[in-house]
Amino acid sequence: MNSRLRVIAMSLLLPVLLAGCWSSKEIEDLALYAGAALDVGMEDETERVLEAKAAKYPRKKKLTATVQIVPVRTVGGKSSKQGGPPHMPYNNISGTGDSILEIFRQFSIRLDQPIIGHHLKVIVVSAELLKEQPIENVMDFLLRDNDIRPSTMVFVSQGPAKDTLVSEANNSVPAFHIMGMIRNRSRTSKVMAPVTLNNIDGLTYAKKSFALQNLVTANGEVEFSGAGIIKGSSGHWVGTLNQMDAEALTWLRNEGSAGVIKAEVRDEPLTYEIKEMKSKISSKVKGDDIEFDVSIKADGRIIEIWDSAAGAASPFTTEETTAVVQKQIEKIMNAFANKLQKKYQADVAGFGDRFAIEHPALWKKVKDNWDEVFSRSKINFTYDVKISEYGSFVEE
Amino acid sequence: MFIRTDNKITRSQAIVFLTNTVLGAGILTMPRSVSQAMHTPDSWLAILLSGLLILPIVWLMTRLSLYYPGLTVFQYAGRIVGRLPGTVLGLMLVVFCITIAGFEIRILAEVTMFFLLEGTPIWAIILPFIWAGTYLVSGGIQAIARVYQIVFPLTILVLLVSFGVSLRLFDIDNLRPVLGDGLAPVWDGVKASILIFSGCEVVLTIVGFMDQPRYAVRTMLTGIAIPAVLYLLTIIVVVGGMSLNTVITSTWPTLDLVRSFEITGFFIERLEFPLMVIWLMQMFCNFCSFFFQASLGISQLFRLPPQPVIFALVPIIFLTAMAVDKQKELFALGDIIGYMSIGLFVLLTVPLLIIQIIRKRGRRQHE
Repeated sequence: MNSRLRVIAMSLLLPVLLAGCWSSKEIEDLALYAGAALDVGMEDETERVLEAKAAKYPRKKKLTATVQIVPVRTVGGKSSKQGGPPHMPYNNISGTGDSILEIFRQFSIRLDQPIIGHHLKVIVVSAELLKEQPIENVMDFLLRDNDIRPSTMVFVSQGPAKDTLVSEANNSVPAFHIMGMIRNRSRTSKVMAPVTLNNIDGLTYAKKSFALQNLVTANGEVEFSGAGIIKGSSGHWVGTLNQMDAEALTWLRNEGSAGVIKAEVRDEPLTYEIKEMKSKISSKVKGDDIEFDVSIKADGRIIEIWDSAAGAASPFTTEETTAVVQKQIEKIMNAFANKLQKKYQADVAGFGDRFAIEHPALWKKVKDNWDEVFSRSKINFTYDVKISEYGSFVEE
Repeated sequence: MFIRTDNKITRSQAIVFLTNTVLGAGILTMPRSVSQAMHTPDSWLAILLSGLLILPIVWLMTRLSLYYPGLTVFQYAGRIVGRLPGTVLGLMLVVFCITIAGFEIRILAEVTMFFLLEGTPIWAIILPFIWAGTYLVSGGIQAIARVYQIVFPLTILVLLVSFGVSLRLFDIDNLRPVLGDGLAPVWDGVKASILIFSGCEVVLTIVGFMDQPRYAVRTMLTGIAIPAVLYLLTIIVVVGGMSLNTVITSTWPTLDLVRSFEITGFFIERLEFPLMVIWLMQMFCNFCSFFFQASLGISQLFRLPPQPVIFALVPIIFLTAMAVDKQKELFALGDIIGYMSIGLFVLLTVPLLIIQIIRKRGRRQHE
């Protein structure tokens, strides 16, 4: 009897579990955003009209945040009127204010679904904003939030960041497009290893200078073009590296695997495809001066020759061709080193990290003004360029 | 399989019992606390050293318990130093266990609320775990040990898989330079890493439950070596994968490591959820160990039946878990527990062992 009562009591308790999760939310009822863009405060048309109609709250308009929500619910089925504008696979919404979270919460009085950051993949920050605000302030919320993953990639944009989240093609989501472009690192080292929120966390804490891939837009298309430099001491954007610099940077950081070097022989292109690229930085101290030895190694093939006289079986020997290619690499590297040391005085290529490992005691003395010390130090490059083949076409 | 009724545990059960008692929430925060204390990438050295330091301590505890085979510290402490002082010492251990049980369940709730169940009230997370724990602890040491045997391989597998996949971020340069600042920060790191081994006091009770006490020393050393090795692995993977500066600024560095990459196309793209969910079981085991110890202590010290004691402890543990208000205080409590652990070693294990040895010598001279 007693045991039967117990069984009944237990089974009465079971339905409590049927209610399921306490804080469950249906995914259809959430607005997932895949991309976010941060700009200097510039209201869009909607916002201006809203504000004109007295939809205001106290703010200084320090920045504009745009989120890209995917997928947009298709209301009313597909068979809407023919010839109407096609449905966009994403929906961008912008808000202007002072705090990113506050702006995000403002979206809640404009959207019918709460936005949720679990699937944020790409953050684009405009260079203009980083000129005004240090990156640690701009990133603070994104680093603290519990939904946004530290794996989110961060980019910088020349021009308005929200333009990078707009696409002319009807069926692609720009945020996913940008993320997908990272895969092309296997083809060119102009695509840099992505900098994630996790990296930014450590870099800003250590006040190190670093480079973020630069996005340029034209005609609804986005291009990875070089990099923007964030100066460690101030957290501000100080300038851009061009595409060749980005290639050199990837090479120096040992993060590249492929690339193209186009040299010129008698004004005609001679193209070298890199199959393997390596670099090694080592440091030495001479008195008060710091010197870096950088050895650059490349292995690859000659893949395109316009000047037929420069081919494998031509009067041009392999040595001479190698010299031409090497000279081109030298040119790129020297221009890059010069830019880092003279123009921006910012070590974004990891010279400091090597120095810290090799001379830890000395590093403690110089690390607070490392960028200055770095710009005064000497960098010696040594090259080892190999041409292993000439492709599947042989000239006589 | 036959069902044991003698309330004893086998060697492998004893190993898993000790491992599961030590290995808990510490793994989620340890890389940060140690790195913050050191500010050098040598944290792995500190963990290695503290792992080596804990071995003789566990050995001493085991030796002490072996003087009284079949008895727990709550029973033999009175025999060594007299009934009243023995009770006081035992109560200290009970208070320690209640504190750490509350702490462990609170950390569990904090992680769950932050990453998994945002919006669920904290009591709704804590209470089911305490209830489930009550049920498990009522089953006695056999039941607990069996659950541990099931949970342990699972949690360790998921942890190792997560670490294995995280190796894609690993960069040996993040662990260099070695000893760039000399040995002084390593020592700070050893001090900061004490908390992660607190709980090894369980040795004082489980040796008494072993069915083959002659293997006690080897068993207990294995039991503590497993968490020591896992901690070492954790710090190497986390600091090597995220770099020192990121670890310092991260509240839950071990979870952040797994959160900082996505495996597109893999069966599960994000590993933090399996890791977190599975690790909740580990923290639950951890909690049950201390719950069990506290209830065992009270019932043995005051000769009370175990069942009412377990039920009486439920509200006390709940209140302990809820006593802390802010996250900062919670981490501060963690440090306090670390110091309590040292205090217990100095006030309980060492004096008991010395008195025991002196008395034994004295007895031998009389004979």
